[in-house]
Amino acid sequence: MPDYDAIVVGAGNAGSAAAITMASKGLSVLLVDRSDPPGAKNLSGGVLWGNDLARILPKWQSEAPLERYIQNKKIGFLTDDSSIIIDFKTKIFEENKVGYTVLRSKFDPWLAKKAKEAGAMVIPGITVESLAKKDGKIVGVVESGDTITASVVILAEGINPRLAIEAGLREPLQDWEVSVGVKEIIKMSPQKIEDRFNLTSTSGMASEYIMGNLKELNVGAFFYTNKDSISLGIVSPMEQLRANGVTHTYDIIEQFKEHPSIAPLIEGGTVAEYGAHMIPEGGLEMIPKLYGDGYMIVGDAAGFGFSNGLVLQGMNYAFLSGILAGETAVEAKGRNDFSENFLALYKQKLEGSYVLKDLKTFKDIRKVTNNKNMYTVYPKMLESILLEMLWERGQPKKKVRDILSSCAADLNLSKLKTATDFYYIYRRM
Amino acid sequence: MLKIAVMIKQVPDSQDISIDPVTKTLNRSMARNVVNPPDVNATEAAVQLKDKYGGEITAITMGPPMADTALLQLMGMGVDNGILVTDRVFAGADTWPTAFTLASVADYLGGFDVIFCGEETTDSSTGHVGPGIAEFLGCEQATYVHKVEYEDGFFVVTRDIEGAEETIKIGKPAVITITLNANEPRNPTLKRKIAAYKKGVRVVTNKELQLDPACIGLKGSPTIVKDMKTVPDPVKNPSKLGVEDMEKLVSVLIEKGVVK
Repeated sequence: MPDYDAIVVGAGNAGSAAAITMASKGLSVLLVDRSDPPGAKNLSGGVLWGNDLARILPKWQSEAPLERYIQNKKIGFLTDDSSIIIDFKTKIFEENKVGYTVLRSKFDPWLAKKAKEAGAMVIPGITVESLAKKDGKIVGVVESGDTITASVVILAEGINPRLAIEAGLREPLQDWEVSVGVKEIIKMSPQKIEDRFNLTSTSGMASEYIMGNLKELNVGAFFYTNKDSISLGIVSPMEQLRANGVTHTYDIIEQFKEHPSIAPLIEGGTVAEYGAHMIPEGGLEMIPKLYGDGYMIVGDAAGFGFSNGLVLQGMNYAFLSGILAGETAVEAKGRNDFSENFLALYKQKLEGSYVLKDLKTFKDIRKVTNNKNMYTVYPKMLESILLEMLWERGQPKKKVRDILSSCAADLNLSKLKTATDFYYIYRRM
Repeated sequence: MLKIAVMIKQVPDSQDISIDPVTKTLNRSMARNVVNPPDVNATEAAVQLKDKYGGEITAITMGPPMADTALLQLMGMGVDNGILVTDRVFAGADTWPTAFTLASVADYLGGFDVIFCGEETTDSSTGHVGPGIAEFLGCEQATYVHKVEYEDGFFVVTRDIEGAEETIKIGKPAVITITLNANEPRNPTLKRKIAAYKKGVRVVTNKELQLDPACIGLKGSPTIVKDMKTVPDPVKNPSKLGVEDMEKLVSVLIEKGVVK
């Protein structure tokens, strides 16, 4: 008899969601995390949309340590001198209140506590050394020479899945599969935040930008409001950082903070915390085999992330993949069958969900997000069009068509290239 | 078999605390709670003693209910029992009632052959509590110890004294305070930690202890904090190098025998 029905390695969103799903159905679950309190070292640059969380914790909105609900979402481009932003504010967000900013160092310990309340044994402050294998099956985890066994091990170890790699369950990470996120938390009084961003005491703003002012790098940036702080950061593809010899990503975050339309927003605030994290952005191509005899891989460890430059998805994929792996384990326990054959159910469940559907729909998105023009030429072009249209300089006006062609000429851009770019953006986004 | 106790405290991680310039109190809101670092060394000393001579270790802390995680962490290192002394009436204690309460708990639990403490806590740095416990219990004590042996019913301990070290022999029962970095604490193991979380810690309140309310908590604390001043950060001037002549500095360091 194994020590547990399931061992979950990693108490992030995916791991805790899996543990809650299994423990609440009566499985014996061990959830292990390297930090104490569990999950306290986790970091995110996104907004938590609670649809999936509601499946396992219906009262999450009143119980979870949430910061502000997203009432106002902005997306846009930054150039050297300008910012071009779509400011989306809707009553629909206000009435539904399902998107929230969160601070993971508070949220994750809460979620792990929920796993404990559901009946899981939650052990913080322990780094699992390796996976225990027997006859080609994963049978548990090894730490300090001790083996703790389980019918199934759920690997929720995050973006750098050391255990899965060492056990040969997936290839080591490649540069193209990940981006580097760098984040700062800037302390500011709630009063100042609410005045500055036109918010109420519970509402918040989240924005994402394409930084069009960095020539060699395709950098996205995020900026959102918490209760008494602002989270901001940048995301840049590892491949480009390496190709350009960029080792100091804080230079990039400084450039974002110093941008003329960002600097006034953080004026008077003080940096309270900073951190960096890798983000899965390899899409469908980086997804490893997700299950096998005695194991399943969930969340970031499975590469479940999505970005199109303006929208980042990660936490919600984590919840849902954790829940689906948990449900699979519950069914496996019912049949007493934790073989690769039966655990294939996990992949079926994922294929029926938006996680793998999204990744399939946008399988070519990297061709858009890797397109340099998206980050340099087109923001500049938009800026030129707007200047031409909105700036009265005592000169005759031009038609948009003429503005476009003169811009393209200024920027050394062929019409054909522009046309194909837009065609592909249209097709892939 | 030795009956060993370790007195420990959960403190905010000193890297994460700042002083609120307005209220002049410690701002702990951003700080993670950790076991006071010298207390981890004290625990390691206790576990080494147990490994070598046999015994049972009880870790005791006085603190809020959330301090149970500190005890569970140490149980993961090899401590057998965790005692959480928690009660509203113990709150606000300075070092006098803290030492009194912990000594009373040690007595209440039937006494110990040796009680280990950290040399001091990182959040108040008094170093009073270990010696205080020894005085209340009327037992022998050794402070600032980095090495402990047990021979013929005596503890042979090596203590740091200014510019030297001193080895002394003390009898049972004894209180020994251990210096920071006296040893290299082992990591808790998963197996021990699972056992610890299954066993849990024993909670002791004053309903059980029945200590005189005048001798515990804020009421029993003779210290009055009159004022607290913050020292401004030194002005950093990156344009001016702190050391103008690096070679001269190095030669002085060699001359004084600081570096070789």
